[in-house]
Amino acid sequence: MAGTNASAKKKNTKNTVLRVLLYVVVILICLFTLYPYFVTVCTALKSRAEIFSINGTIFPIKAIWSNFTDVWKLAPMSSYMLNSIVIAGGSTLLAMLCGIPAAYALSRMKFKGQTAFLGFVIVSQMFAPVVLLIGIYKVMMAFHLTNSIIGLIFINAAFNQAFAIWLLRGTFLSISPEMEQAATIDGCNRVHALLRILLPVAAPGIVTALIFVFINAWNEYTVALTLISTDTFKPLTVGINIFNGYNMIEWQYLFAASLYAIVPVVILFVGIEKNLVGGLTSGGVKG
Amino acid sequence: MKKKFKKVEPYIWILPSVLLMAVFILVPIVFVFRMALSDVSKAGLIKGFAGLENFRKVTSSSVFAMVLKNTLVWTVAVVGISTLLGFILAILLNNEFKGRKLARAVVVFPWATTLIVQASIWKFIIDTDYGTLNTLLMRLGIIDHAINWTPTAGAYFAWEIACGIFVTIPFVTFTVLSGLQSIDASYYEAAAVDGASYWQKMFQITIPLVRPNLTISTILNIIYVFNSFPIIWTITKGDPANRTDTLVTYLYKLAFYNGKQGQAAAVSVIGFLILLLCASLYMVSVLKKGDE
Repeated sequence: MAGTNASAKKKNTKNTVLRVLLYVVVILICLFTLYPYFVTVCTALKSRAEIFSINGTIFPIKAIWSNFTDVWKLAPMSSYMLNSIVIAGGSTLLAMLCGIPAAYALSRMKFKGQTAFLGFVIVSQMFAPVVLLIGIYKVMMAFHLTNSIIGLIFINAAFNQAFAIWLLRGTFLSISPEMEQAATIDGCNRVHALLRILLPVAAPGIVTALIFVFINAWNEYTVALTLISTDTFKPLTVGINIFNGYNMIEWQYLFAASLYAIVPVVILFVGIEKNLVGGLTSGGVKG
Repeated sequence: MKKKFKKVEPYIWILPSVLLMAVFILVPIVFVFRMALSDVSKAGLIKGFAGLENFRKVTSSSVFAMVLKNTLVWTVAVVGISTLLGFILAILLNNEFKGRKLARAVVVFPWATTLIVQASIWKFIIDTDYGTLNTLLMRLGIIDHAINWTPTAGAYFAWEIACGIFVTIPFVTFTVLSGLQSIDASYYEAAAVDGASYWQKMFQITIPLVRPNLTISTILNIIYVFNSFPIIWTITKGDPANRTDTLVTYLYKLAFYNGKQGQAAAVSVIGFLILLLCASLYMVSVLKKGDE
């Protein structure tokens, strides 16, 4: 009896040690992950002189909040912000308008070429725009969209089709088609069945796809850098580099402006984190 | 009439999506192939068929071998190390503990942050003269004078790889985590009854069951990392002397800085073929998974 007690005690101590170790490791990882963000915030609040001084500081000696308002005066930040919103919003809308019907067909109908289409969707996911930039540039020239926000919307929507269709198809397949079938028998056509019955039930999956496409388009850099030459047409990701000159980098402004670009999406991302992972992996399993 | 409509109907539903992808993905692919096989002027006009001349020019340049090697090192190092670390992190986060939700929210941060900003931050952190890494280590008393973290091109490249790993870990972690959470607890209970050790459970239950998730995250990451442009572009622009260039930064410079669009297209095609190989591996594994 005493023996089992002692071994139970030993096991308990071992568990406590493991537990403490787990906390320590997780806290260290979190601190490490947050370090770049900590640096960003502190630097955004410093003066230029403090950043470049020989005696570097960790925290700002005195927080200069005006850096956050100065960037709006020094650069067309309001245009950048508006452009980012329009590009991300427009791309999301277009990606959904094309993606929802396609995902619906893939999950509710049987047709010739279905596998081929699905295969192309998967393969298209593999090609980042950067490899095709020269080709994209030629297409944009043909449409006179080289220096235009509309052009960026089309590109972002196209390159996010794969993910949107994949995620939406997975969501639709997980919902039983019985309700829609009942509705169609009652004389409701497919469009109505989709809008009134399926979409409300599929809302969580749709919101996830929506936010994910929005974030991707908001964070896109390479295509915008290549296609847009007029300063006031640039999105935030490209525009903020106005503070990142060849000879001199205005770190305090660059980071203050960067925070405007990253805070909204980090919040959105934390919000969908749970659904997103399920969508990324399960989409491939179902069906 | 109605029967006929039923046959065409699915194609009407997929038409917008097909059009969008055809015009903005398929057509660029065709253009890239055409330019790679053509004699292209500095202004980007096609002057005539050139056969494999662009490929010959690209592959015969001594820089190309180095760029290809860099791309391989970059992709393998970033994907390999972040898969290992991301997997370990997922195992840690799969434990029940107070503040787990908060920890998961923090871990997702680097995934959400645009790469261009991430890269700028790291460039600032490692700067020799005023970077915060030196400041932090000096304040903590670990070092007593500023260290030059980037004495060579290789050191720069290593930091770029570190930055790549930092931003890639969350994707691995969350993909694996979703697999871990779907494992039935009864497997572990049965194993515990049999007196299985921690490592036996790890290698005989956990790893086999999350393998599909690891496969997906690894293959997708190979493609994302291979194509990753902003990190290297922000920190070194591939300099000095192409020593930190990967395929995508190299082709970008060829096309948009040096006016060698034909050669850039050839590099694109080479990259495209490498990716196609990865894509088919991915497709095979996904479709195989669907059959099971």
